[in-house]
Amino acid sequence: MKTSWKLLAAALAGSLCLPLSAQTPAAAAKVQIGVVTALTGPMAAPGVFQMNGFKLAAEELNAAGGITVGGRKYQVELKVYDTRANPSEGASAMQRLATVDKVPVVLGELSSGVAAAIAPIAQDYALPLILTVPTGPNLTEQSNPFLFRVNANNLQLNQALADFVSKQGWSPISFIAWNNDAGRGGVTGIKELMPAATKDAYVGYFNVGEVDFASHVSNIRNTKSQAVMLFMDEEPGSLAIKQIRDAGLKVQLVGTLAMGSDRFLKRLDAQRLEGMVQYNAFPPNADQPRIKSFSQRYKAKFGEEAHGFAAQSYDGLMVAVAAMQAAGTVSNGKAIRDALAKIDHTGVIGRIKFDGKGQASPAVYVTQWCANGSRRILYPDSAKAGCGAG
Amino acid sequence: MGEVLLEQLINGLMMGSVYVLVALGMVLIYGVMHVVNFAHGVLFTLGGYLGYFFYHRVFDSYPLAIVLAVLSLAVIGVLLERGVFRPLTGNLRNQVIASLGLILFLENLVVALWGPNALQWKVATTEHWVQLGELRFSLHHLGIIVVTLLLVTALGLFLKYTRFGTAIRATSQSQEAAIVVGIPVRTVQWSSFALGCMLAGVGGALVGPLFLVFPQMGDVPLIKGLAGILLGGMGSVPGAVIGGMILGVTESVSTLFLPTDYRDSIAFMMMVAILLLRPQGLFGQRMRGED
Repeated sequence: MKTSWKLLAAALAGSLCLPLSAQTPAAAAKVQIGVVTALTGPMAAPGVFQMNGFKLAAEELNAAGGITVGGRKYQVELKVYDTRANPSEGASAMQRLATVDKVPVVLGELSSGVAAAIAPIAQDYALPLILTVPTGPNLTEQSNPFLFRVNANNLQLNQALADFVSKQGWSPISFIAWNNDAGRGGVTGIKELMPAATKDAYVGYFNVGEVDFASHVSNIRNTKSQAVMLFMDEEPGSLAIKQIRDAGLKVQLVGTLAMGSDRFLKRLDAQRLEGMVQYNAFPPNADQPRIKSFSQRYKAKFGEEAHGFAAQSYDGLMVAVAAMQAAGTVSNGKAIRDALAKIDHTGVIGRIKFDGKGQASPAVYVTQWCANGSRRILYPDSAKAGCGAG
Repeated sequence: MGEVLLEQLINGLMMGSVYVLVALGMVLIYGVMHVVNFAHGVLFTLGGYLGYFFYHRVFDSYPLAIVLAVLSLAVIGVLLERGVFRPLTGNLRNQVIASLGLILFLENLVVALWGPNALQWKVATTEHWVQLGELRFSLHHLGIIVVTLLLVTALGLFLKYTRFGTAIRATSQSQEAAIVVGIPVRTVQWSSFALGCMLAGVGGALVGPLFLVFPQMGDVPLIKGLAGILLGGMGSVPGAVIGGMILGVTESVSTLFLPTDYRDSIAFMMMVAILLLRPQGLFGQRMRGED
């Protein structure tokens, strides 16, 4: 009789233990999200911002315990490929992600040229691709249902910039741009949006990797331009501006997204940059809670000021996760794509809702460098802010 | 218009000076060893990186950084000649292939040591300016022209009036005859190679602060230097100087008339034209049996 009580007690104790052991997971399930970006090569500098945005988002999601999709919890892991801003390397990376790594969604790319090469692959393998930086407008005109873009494209950026510039009455205007889709597209686009009164002075193109802008400087001087628009990234931008200012030219400088960051300021100095305006997707010091919070978290992790590319990429990953949650799957590309098409997400850069072509419509600002190295917001009128709040 | 032309002329002289430095190094090596050293571009790049390294890590002095970079390039030159080119003596084709291989090796070594991103090198001479009417040039800009003129003059005097310089000229005219008259051809070879590398290093160290220091910075100077020596004549030192300068000035001035994206094609068009019309270049000599 005693032994049977002991057996019963043991059985009871044993059965109480079972549910507890079933609750502790053997290992956390992981979902791999594909990332293509330029980590080396001539686009490495902006690539860092993009990668940081993805890293910050992934870290925050995992720190909060991972994401819950279809009732299961997953840790987010990034499968990163360095495309070096080279279309053929981008294409082979995309192929790998689709066929070998079999990720449910791919984020990233930095350069419009590479994005154009990988978008058809996304479509072929029914793998949704979310762009977070490339601005070439043609990318979303290819009727590719698997392509989405979080950031503003050149048309949207140019619209805002043209709106601002036309009000300033600068004429004649010169342009220096990259000799590729983004550069040429940018110049053609903005010229169409300028008022007829604004005269075009000099249009110069340079190849990615070139460092000598002396001939462009001479031509700008020769045409007595009042303003010069620089359609390029921070490395060539810093060289061009340095050479323009060192040659004694006092033209009004108009720059791109990449030329509004603190990191860009460190490449040059406030003296050379003062007065320069640039379109900006993300003024990190703006008085908006979602922007302020992101800037603080970014600075805490990376020790430098946040940048629009990072904010856009952060939102890109968050949107991808939201779509996976809405679709209830971490493997069905088509279902995730359908979820993305319907999604309405509020990110750091604002409201993200893709139109019929997969393009979102984030806000575009115009900021200006002040003499003390801070920025002010000049456009849109509703967001105007003084030095230090840009 | 005259002002802009002057601006481009001075720019042309500056870029021409850089091409001359590269071309001179290549012509010395070609003259003595009959090898077109395709690795000259990466040696130029190394000059930039080593100059940057010495400036930031060792002494804060730009002239000293250049000197140390040049001396390092001399050592590297000797090592390369002994280790890569001498074992391949007699096999010209393999020596050329080896120089191509060196490009890959040295460029990736640079990336491994300093990372793939471009480095910014700020020195005092880029922050001081000389005003010429409405034009303005940084001291560095003009300094490159002056330094190159001095080096070219020094090299010319060395080759013409010193014993060793004459030995170099003799060896480049005919290696066999030089051996016969007792010239230490081996010594001439490695010292010419080292001298060529030093010139490339000076180029890199001078250009580094002007733009950026990055792994591909020697690629364009290599092509332009090659075009310069083709124009001037493959074995001719004065040819290299004049060829490099003509190329630099023509390129810069052309941008006032042609779209700027055609600037690099000037060098290539020149190379094609020379090879078609006057293959020995301006000062080169047509030698029988020479390839």
